[in-house]
Amino acid sequence: MESIYWPTFFFWLFSLISCSFAVGVLLASNIVRMAFYLVLSLASIAGLFFLAGADFVGAMQIMIYVGGTLVLLIFGVMLTSQERFIEMKTPSGEWVIAFFIGASLLGLLFQVAQGVPAWQGMDRLEAEAIAVEKTATPIGMGLLGVRVDKLDETDKSRQAGMSGYLLIFEIVSVHLLVVLIGAAYLARAKRKQNRENLASVT
Amino acid sequence: MDIATASKLSTLLMWAWLLPLASFVVILFLGKSMGRHSKFGGYVATGVILCSAALSFYALFGVWLPNNPLADASHSSEEVHAEHSEVTSVHPVAFLADHGEGESKGHEGAADHGEGGHGEDGHHANNKPPQSYYGDWYTLGQFGSLKLTIGYYIDALTVMMFCMVTLIATCVHFYALGYMHDELHDFTDSEVTLSDGTNLKRPGRYYRFFQYLSLFCFSMLGVVIAGNVAMVFVFWELVGICSYFLIGFYIERHSASTAANKAFIVNRVGDFGMLIGMMALWSSLGTFAFGDLTDTEGHVVEQGIFSQLRSAENDYHLQATDSVVAEQNRVIRPSADGATIEDPEHNTAGQWLLFIAGVGIFCGCIGKSAQFPLHVWLPDAMEGPTPVSALVHSATMVAAGVYLTGRFYPAFTPEALLVIAYIGCATLLIAATIAITATDIKRVLAYSTISQLGYMMLALGLGGWVAGMFHLITHAFFKGLLFMCSGSVIHGVHTNDMTEMGGLRKKMPITAYTMLVGCLAIIGAGIPIIGPGFSGYYSKDAIIEQAWSYGNSNPHLAILKWAPIVGAFITAFYMFRLWYMTFAGKPRNQHRYDHAHESPRVMTVPLIVLSIFAIGIGWKLPITNLNTTALLEQARPVGTLATTQGVLLPELVIPNEHDSHAPAIKWAAGWAAFSTAASGVLLASIIYLWNLLDPKELKQTFRPLHSWLWNKWWFDELYGLIFVAPTMMISKTASWFDRRVIDSILHGSVTVCKGCSKVVYAVFDKTLVDGMANGIAGVTWDLGLWLRKIQTGNLRQYIMFIVIGTVVLFIAISFVQQTI
Amino acid sequence: MIHLPLAHLLSEPVGVSHYVMVGAVLFTCGVLCMATKRNALGVLMGIELVLNGANLNFIAFGSHVLRNDVNSLGLDGQLMAMFVIVLAAAEAAVLLAIALNFYNNHNSIDVDRADELLG
Repeated sequence: MESIYWPTFFFWLFSLISCSFAVGVLLASNIVRMAFYLVLSLASIAGLFFLAGADFVGAMQIMIYVGGTLVLLIFGVMLTSQERFIEMKTPSGEWVIAFFIGASLLGLLFQVAQGVPAWQGMDRLEAEAIAVEKTATPIGMGLLGVRVDKLDETDKSRQAGMSGYLLIFEIVSVHLLVVLIGAAYLARAKRKQNRENLASVT
Repeated sequence: MDIATASKLSTLLMWAWLLPLASFVVILFLGKSMGRHSKFGGYVATGVILCSAALSFYALFGVWLPNNPLADASHSSEEVHAEHSEVTSVHPVAFLADHGEGESKGHEGAADHGEGGHGEDGHHANNKPPQSYYGDWYTLGQFGSLKLTIGYYIDALTVMMFCMVTLIATCVHFYALGYMHDELHDFTDSEVTLSDGTNLKRPGRYYRFFQYLSLFCFSMLGVVIAGNVAMVFVFWELVGICSYFLIGFYIERHSASTAANKAFIVNRVGDFGMLIGMMALWSSLGTFAFGDLTDTEGHVVEQGIFSQLRSAENDYHLQATDSVVAEQNRVIRPSADGATIEDPEHNTAGQWLLFIAGVGIFCGCIGKSAQFPLHVWLPDAMEGPTPVSALVHSATMVAAGVYLTGRFYPAFTPEALLVIAYIGCATLLIAATIAITATDIKRVLAYSTISQLGYMMLALGLGGWVAGMFHLITHAFFKGLLFMCSGSVIHGVHTNDMTEMGGLRKKMPITAYTMLVGCLAIIGAGIPIIGPGFSGYYSKDAIIEQAWSYGNSNPHLAILKWAPIVGAFITAFYMFRLWYMTFAGKPRNQHRYDHAHESPRVMTVPLIVLSIFAIGIGWKLPITNLNTTALLEQARPVGTLATTQGVLLPELVIPNEHDSHAPAIKWAAGWAAFSTAASGVLLASIIYLWNLLDPKELKQTFRPLHSWLWNKWWFDELYGLIFVAPTMMISKTASWFDRRVIDSILHGSVTVCKGCSKVVYAVFDKTLVDGMANGIAGVTWDLGLWLRKIQTGNLRQYIMFIVIGTVVLFIAISFVQQTI
Repeated sequence: MIHLPLAHLLSEPVGVSHYVMVGAVLFTCGVLCMATKRNALGVLMGIELVLNGANLNFIAFGSHVLRNDVNSLGLDGQLMAMFVIVLAAAEAAVLLAIALNFYNNHNSIDVDRADELLG
């Protein structure tokens, strides 16, 4: 038997963690536990990103998702955590329907995933020969509009994807700004109204 | 044919067959005079069936096996598989093209031909006729070319069926000795209320019960040993009448008497088709006999059905003979070397006749084995006492239909087999879904019986002869066991209703754990691929493998491939639902729980005996290499071990059964079977054992579905609407005609005129004009209301709709791509 | 002999299809989360899972470690994944705002009660 190929080992480890905690999110009925499982699941997905050679995106995943978005989520949980919302039961019938639908969807996706020959793993020797490159610089340059990773692309038909992502980057920035303002407005305006409601009740 | 062995076997089995008749006669004349309170009848019947069982087992182990040693059951060893599949992969296409009938394997069904082993003989022959002994005991009469005889046709299957039937019957007899003790003294039937409000009180009928059981055993064994179709038919009807007597045993109960009538009438419908099939056969072949009649030197005197339809000159392929198709109807074309040969492409008349004969015979099997259109009688037949349900309505009689299909197998064309497969597939799914909601413990088992019979028919229809027959044998044991366990439960708690049981595990441990064995056997529990497992594991996997291999050869019939796998899921679910509801959890009715008790030993010992068989009947005995499959392989019908192509439907391919043991198929099918069964058990555990999901809530959510299944797909109502109501209407119309016809003559033209204008008004104005206007409006209104229901405003439902839409779209696209 | 796939499971490199399958599991869990959770925040977590499943696919398609040929997405896959992460953050903020708003109005975060648009 050949020796263990460690990236594969870690792949199975991380995928096991992420999948089982994703199932945990699905099955847990306590919202606080769900949030905790989600954190673990997303963190191990970052591990999968590293294994696929996407170091920068993996880091982003940890920082933005685990560090940012989830904190936001947990704030949401805390803000709305009244006793009766912590555990909300779903009717049994929906679980059964969801089970069957989910199983068929999963079967479908698995079939597709297995159906493409080029997606199977490559040879071990070939895989070990691939050099690992850092991706932070090319991504940064790509966002600025220069694709340093495709400078030597000669095929004309492939140059369409070579243009940089500067415009998109700008759009996303503006988008984020709009979201920031919008979210703040949405969350803030109603609270005032609510206070008035409360006042009128009391 | 070995004369000594033949006479020995036929004598042994004849006695095994006739002894129950003797018991019937004895009890008939002496039973009453021995007194109603004596157990005389029971002891006679039980002793006799015990003798029959001993004779049958002696016939198997003492006579059959020494004379017909089992071929080394090599198709379980991997090397042969490899070699085997290699051979197949090289030839099939070329062979299909040139023969139009299919490729075949050199396989030795009968070991005494001396050249055993797979793939040894190079010529492409079908398998030879199995070793069988055929002969006549008595000629009833000769009418022209038709001879009616009482004869025997004995092969490995006959001997095995004898052992199986007598063994189960013995267990049931012992069990009934205890179960029927209520009948020994005056019996008060609490379910029958007389007009003065009291319950019916009647003398016990202990002896009569055993009298019927003996008659039943006699007729069942007669079906099994019969040497020709006519004799099968006679005993077939005898079995039917016994079933009628036994279902209507509590004849004073209205439900029991109607159930008995229903069973009898529904079976008549099937037997009508069987008669048509028999006529088609006789008019074309001129014989009813299965085997060839030989004289003392071994020369064939009269050819039977099988050797006529699958002659050795024709390489054992099924072909319509000269007598089937008249000369002028044959399409003949000259072949290359000047001789004339038949054109199989255009010569379909004979195939059609054989198709009709096959489907006709199968109609009888539909009735007796409670297959899809005629399955309605079996659940009602549960009105009979439980030992009857165990023996007659699960283990043996209903298996007679499957047995006949298997016996008649060489005469079925591939198209007839397709019909059989479809019927089996429909039966298996419909019955399984109904079993999910039933709460009467015996009804659940009855539907599970129907479903398992569907499995067997499906296997036969897909070309898996050994798989189907193997399941017949294993199913007989575990279903007999399950029914007797349920009888023990009913005996203990005095109700059939599972909603009043629960927690009985502690009160009746032997029943509970033997029933668990039965459940595990029926769902086919075992370690996937490598085994070992319960008996059902071997037979059910064999069926699923055959279905898989069939689905691979016929992509357009994929439903037949998936049906048994879906069925395995549902089977596992409802069987464990049954077990959990009965034995696990907390008692739902404390009063009944407190009074529950384990059954006496005379009832539990048969349970233990049967559960041993339910575990081990599929195993291969060490040292002797004796196993059921190898025995069945000895009886494989002539010419069926081949990849066969349809004639009327050329794209239909029935794969060789041995191909289904190829590792790739075994692997995939084994895991599919295991995972579906495991998830079924898991779902049942979630709902009924761990109570994670509430069954009441589920019922609420799936209310339309539940009521549909609860009402058994509305089959009874449908038949009432289609068959009963029109009959009533026709008779009413006739009576109306009788009364009114004279009037109308008297009133003459006035009435006609008035009538005409009324008709115009009623038919044209009222229905057509008004109806159209109202109809369109109504449809639009209803559609709007219906569409409004979908818009629930529920976020989660919308998401479900999106996912369903995606999946459906994907499947639709893949279908479109396939057709293009 | 029985051929066990587990024997060389750990000694061979994984391919794109393995990543896609993990993504499929996450995606399905996410969809079912959206379909079964009554808590609005549970639905939000479902969406996060779905986005991550999709992200995993992007990364896998773009990774040269898993598939080293010209048909690989290359760096574009990673850039896509990054935009998805950023937009997911934005979406989480907005959804959270909506959820809080809903909570303030209805004093509940049960999405079953958000059915005012029902005709």
